[in-house]
Amino acid sequence: MDTTTVPRTARPSPRALTLLAVGATALALTAAAATPLNPAPRQARADGQRTLTVAVSQSVDSLSPFLAQRLVSTTVHRLIYENLTNYDAKDNHAIPGLATKWEPSPDKLTWTYTIRENSTWSDGKQATAEDAAWTFNTMMTDEGAATANGSFVANFKKVTAPSPTKLVIELKKPQATMAALDVPILPRHEWEKVGDYARFNNDKKFPIVGNGPFILTDYKVDQYVKFKPNQKFWRGAPKFDELVLKYYKDGDAAVAALQKGEVSFASNLTPAQAASLAKAKNIKVNDAPGRRFYALATNPGARSKDGKKFGDGHPALLNPKVRQALFAATDRKTIIDKVFQGHAVEGQGYIPPRFSAYHWKPDADQRIAYDPARAAALLDEAGYKKNKAGKRVGKDGRPLDFRILCHATDPNDKAIGKYMQEWWGELGIGLKVDCLDNVSDPWLAGEYDLAFDGWSVNPDPDFVLSIHTCAALPSTPKDTGATDNFICDKKFDELYAQQTAEYDQAKRADLVKQMQSRLYDTGYMNVMAYPNAVEAYRTDQIRAITTMPESGGNLWGQDGYWSWWSAVPAEVDDTSGGSGSSTGLVIGIVTTVVLAAGLVVFVATRRRSTAEDRE
Amino acid sequence: MSTTSSTPLVEGAADGPVPVKTGPSGPRARSARAYLTYVAGKLGGAAVSLFAVLVTSFFLFRIIPGDPVRTMTHGRQVSAEQLASLRRQFGLDLPVWQQFTEYCAKALSGDLGTSYQFHAPVGELIAEKLPATLLLTGVAVVIYSVLGLWLGTRSAWRHGRLGDKVNTGVALTLWSVPSFWLGLLLIITFSVGIGPIPGMFPTGGMETGGETGFGYVADVAHHMVLPVVTLVAVGYAQTLLVMRASLLDEMGSDYLTTARAKGLRDDLVRRHHAVPNALLPTVTMVFINLGHVAAGSILVETVFSWPGLGGLFYQALSVPDLPLVQGLFVVFAGAMILMNLLADLLYPLLDPRVGR
Amino acid sequence: MTVPSTAAQTASSLAWARRRGSVARFWRAYRTHRAGLFGLGALAVIALVALAAPLLVGSDVQSVTNAPGAALESPSGAFPLGTDQFGRSLLGLLIWGARISLTVGLMAAALSVAIGTLVGILAGHFGGWFSTVTMRITDWFLVMPTLVLAIVLATVMSRSVWTVILAIGVTSWPTTARLVRAQTLAVESRPYIERATALGGGHGHIMSRHVLPNVMPLVLAQTTLGISNAILTEATLAFLGLGDPDVVSWGGMLQDAREAGAVSSGHWWYLAPPGIAIAAVALAFTLCGRAVESVLNPKLGVSTR
Repeated sequence: MDTTTVPRTARPSPRALTLLAVGATALALTAAAATPLNPAPRQARADGQRTLTVAVSQSVDSLSPFLAQRLVSTTVHRLIYENLTNYDAKDNHAIPGLATKWEPSPDKLTWTYTIRENSTWSDGKQATAEDAAWTFNTMMTDEGAATANGSFVANFKKVTAPSPTKLVIELKKPQATMAALDVPILPRHEWEKVGDYARFNNDKKFPIVGNGPFILTDYKVDQYVKFKPNQKFWRGAPKFDELVLKYYKDGDAAVAALQKGEVSFASNLTPAQAASLAKAKNIKVNDAPGRRFYALATNPGARSKDGKKFGDGHPALLNPKVRQALFAATDRKTIIDKVFQGHAVEGQGYIPPRFSAYHWKPDADQRIAYDPARAAALLDEAGYKKNKAGKRVGKDGRPLDFRILCHATDPNDKAIGKYMQEWWGELGIGLKVDCLDNVSDPWLAGEYDLAFDGWSVNPDPDFVLSIHTCAALPSTPKDTGATDNFICDKKFDELYAQQTAEYDQAKRADLVKQMQSRLYDTGYMNVMAYPNAVEAYRTDQIRAITTMPESGGNLWGQDGYWSWWSAVPAEVDDTSGGSGSSTGLVIGIVTTVVLAAGLVVFVATRRRSTAEDRE
Repeated sequence: MSTTSSTPLVEGAADGPVPVKTGPSGPRARSARAYLTYVAGKLGGAAVSLFAVLVTSFFLFRIIPGDPVRTMTHGRQVSAEQLASLRRQFGLDLPVWQQFTEYCAKALSGDLGTSYQFHAPVGELIAEKLPATLLLTGVAVVIYSVLGLWLGTRSAWRHGRLGDKVNTGVALTLWSVPSFWLGLLLIITFSVGIGPIPGMFPTGGMETGGETGFGYVADVAHHMVLPVVTLVAVGYAQTLLVMRASLLDEMGSDYLTTARAKGLRDDLVRRHHAVPNALLPTVTMVFINLGHVAAGSILVETVFSWPGLGGLFYQALSVPDLPLVQGLFVVFAGAMILMNLLADLLYPLLDPRVGR
Repeated sequence: MTVPSTAAQTASSLAWARRRGSVARFWRAYRTHRAGLFGLGALAVIALVALAAPLLVGSDVQSVTNAPGAALESPSGAFPLGTDQFGRSLLGLLIWGARISLTVGLMAAALSVAIGTLVGILAGHFGGWFSTVTMRITDWFLVMPTLVLAIVLATVMSRSVWTVILAIGVTSWPTTARLVRAQTLAVESRPYIERATALGGGHGHIMSRHVLPNVMPLVLAQTTLGISNAILTEATLAFLGLGDPDVVSWGGMLQDAREAGAVSSGHWWYLAPPGIAIAAVALAFTLCGRAVESVLNPKLGVSTR
């Protein structure tokens, strides 16, 4: 277009460049000034200060125990607040926490807890039954406070504290889980002042007043959470001088940081990472039995309590033979060997073997083994024969084309989806792998055929069992229920009701096993594997640490604070600050200075030429 | 790549439109008054654009399927009344037009709503993360603009010779590299360390924590090196090419021939006549790049665990945390509008053709 | 045969001859650009490999159950680039992935340029308030953060190749629209358009017979440049986990590599090739695009004056 029509006044204009340079500098300065370069002064690092740094990948959703739901947040709360009871590191049985003793009344409806006298809040005040009663009562009366743990108090009728050491909870119905109330007890005198529990995040005033083994001293969103040991902790103070949870968005970055000694511990390792770390010096890879099960869920026809059906699950899945065939055509051994590369245990019952008291295995004749031929026979029996194109089609003419809901963030879902497509494809079954960041919407609407499903199991199995009862279904299609997979089975429900009211441990365990057997037979929840917890820590920073279970257990996400509370610093503390990073720091500063100098030189040359012009 | 993806590598700088130009081509303001009219017009245009962004962000994110309230309550027993109260709390029970007017009124007064998942005001969450993003990308844009200008000028002067070819070739190659990939390679090489190369830079994050004063500044600078290098490497080509092209264009112009004929020295002519004129489209482009700053580093922030807006956006999108997504979108687009406005306002001031 | 039809035939054959001539002229000019030729050559090779992929590696390469190797093997004679976490040959996947990456790049760029051309021609031809409104919308699309918008679109829709194409296509058209509009205005100011209108040519006739052929070169250049952008955006979306999990693409391979922990395990052979492939294709298209552009508009600096 027109480039020459306007005669240019060839005016020397260094203005443009100066303006640009000024603008650039101003921007750099603004950016620098906007960054808190001088945060609140931290305590000077005494020599020999021993810091335990743990890499975490999840953002903290809230530091308020009333709101926090993510694992990282509840782990933080375990460290800074006491629950009434805790779990033994050896075998998960309930042991004293804030309460030293707990017992039910003969009618099973009233529980009395004795609160210990040697637990104090970090501001010096005594932790009492009053605090516990206030915590539960707030959750029972304030909707905001019930956000995270409301289900624990749903069956509570009345909570009182007749004396500072005595807490009384009256129930509406008997409840066997009263020694497993995973609710952090909060200091009433601090929390009473809060206005709106739905919005209070407990992240403005540090240190946070608590009575756990650690005291939270500092927190920066998506950067770190820092703790100091609670010297007055009744069980004894932790041995490290500082605990830091450091945030790494990227798993590789966390592993690299571990290799360099920037962090002492990293979890959620991939098989490749575990293999390469196992070869590294001063690093121990901890491949422990996990607390999760990983299952193939089938949609049993979504419905609500009022009997309305909704969703669009494939009708063929209502036929138990089809469900069995799908599972029989799923090679669990290959999944363990190839996808988890040995870092998992083949699935059996619903509750992982780690919780040995409740773990159950199917009998030889009950077990659905991997057997494609049998799967084909089952499908033929069910009336889904192969057509000429090799596809299985029902009598209604509808082919066996399923969708499976997959979590886009979980590589295992995607990998197993690929295998299933090929295994089932050979049988004439189509499979579409629907990977979503947010699976909740189709899931809650019942708009799925199959789904990858998994839950972390607590030492008390009540919760993971409750999500398959009819009572957990949503009231109407518009509501949300606690149900996992819309299962509603009379026999399962009867057993569930029995175990809830059974205060005898052995009898309750037996009922729980019967429930798992029933669940197995329905074929709605097919457990494929129990993935291991694959973690690693630096042995030159941590000399000893307690796993849970004590023999061969894991470290991150324990039911208790055992790992970080028990960790003993290594004697020679040469790398904890990262000696490698100090050379790096020097190089880094040099690079930065060189870049800045280059900029200055550039601007200066320009200026000089301007000066020349002015002569 | 992230910062350049929406402004394709067009060399047609001489055609006036460096990719984004919201106004009529080249203002011809002849007086201060004309300039004021021009400014008023531009301000008006920016206001309209900003309003349009507000409207879009509201409706765009309403098409994300699903009900945030149900997503948040997934796996818990929640009664219809509780759901209704949550919807009330988030204002989701109102008819859409009413939600919209409320949203606009609040947004104009600076209130972007409350995040569903973090239970905190969106403005606060963004303000918390904004400095980190500004610092990282601001520094990167400044460096790559200066680098691009410098190399572009050199390239144009040595036009057609080997230096120019190598220069342009390297820039184009780096421009073609996916930024996240380059970041990963830099981490492998300089953070983890390969062979003789020690892992000399941190693997991610913005600070080690526990440093104060100068130590803190050095620590942040140390953490910044690799992400900045990544952004600069994939970003400077654009500035370089635009600068080179417009300078070549200037060098072919009649007035330069005239100036040369008058006996002015060649390099002086170039330095004092051609370069300033050629800077025009390039400066515009620098501002546009600044506009991309907020949104541009999503990938690099992800790869380097940088605690900025990019990561926040990604988290918000997966819930979907509507108020947060909307707020971030407004901030991202607002930055672009602001920088375009600045470019437009500066244009007549810088344009030597405009006699003021 | 009637006279008018013969005349028409002659006219059209003349037009064809003219076009052939201009193509030849174009090619002669293009040939002088070494970088452009280099890019074209590289593209030809890559396209050939992508087309021949079924012969070279077989469609079996994607199968996980028949994977020939063990997980994450390092490069060897059997697997020149090593294997992925399923034990599949990475070289095979790289070749197979070229198909998706190229398809997505081409189709997304084509979609984007098609939208841009349509909007640009309509706005340029009709002018008036229609043009004002259209260009306002275009400007407003220009200030939208493209990557953010594409991420949103890809999140909203189901994970498939089409989603990615659509997300890239509908977010990247405004630049083309602006350029095409300017070109349309220039073409329509030429006297022969006035003549054509006077002879009774309607809007459709003018736009399709006169304007379109004249903006085609510009559109071609835009498409070529757009493809490299589209390929990079595809890789980005796939890397963020927004691609189709069922197909193998280069961006998806990088995402797989990252998920497998290749970075911290030092498996550079898994990470490097897909990135290099993306960069090579993007560079090749950019080189071609720049060459095309400078042929059409020689005053831009690339020419070897």
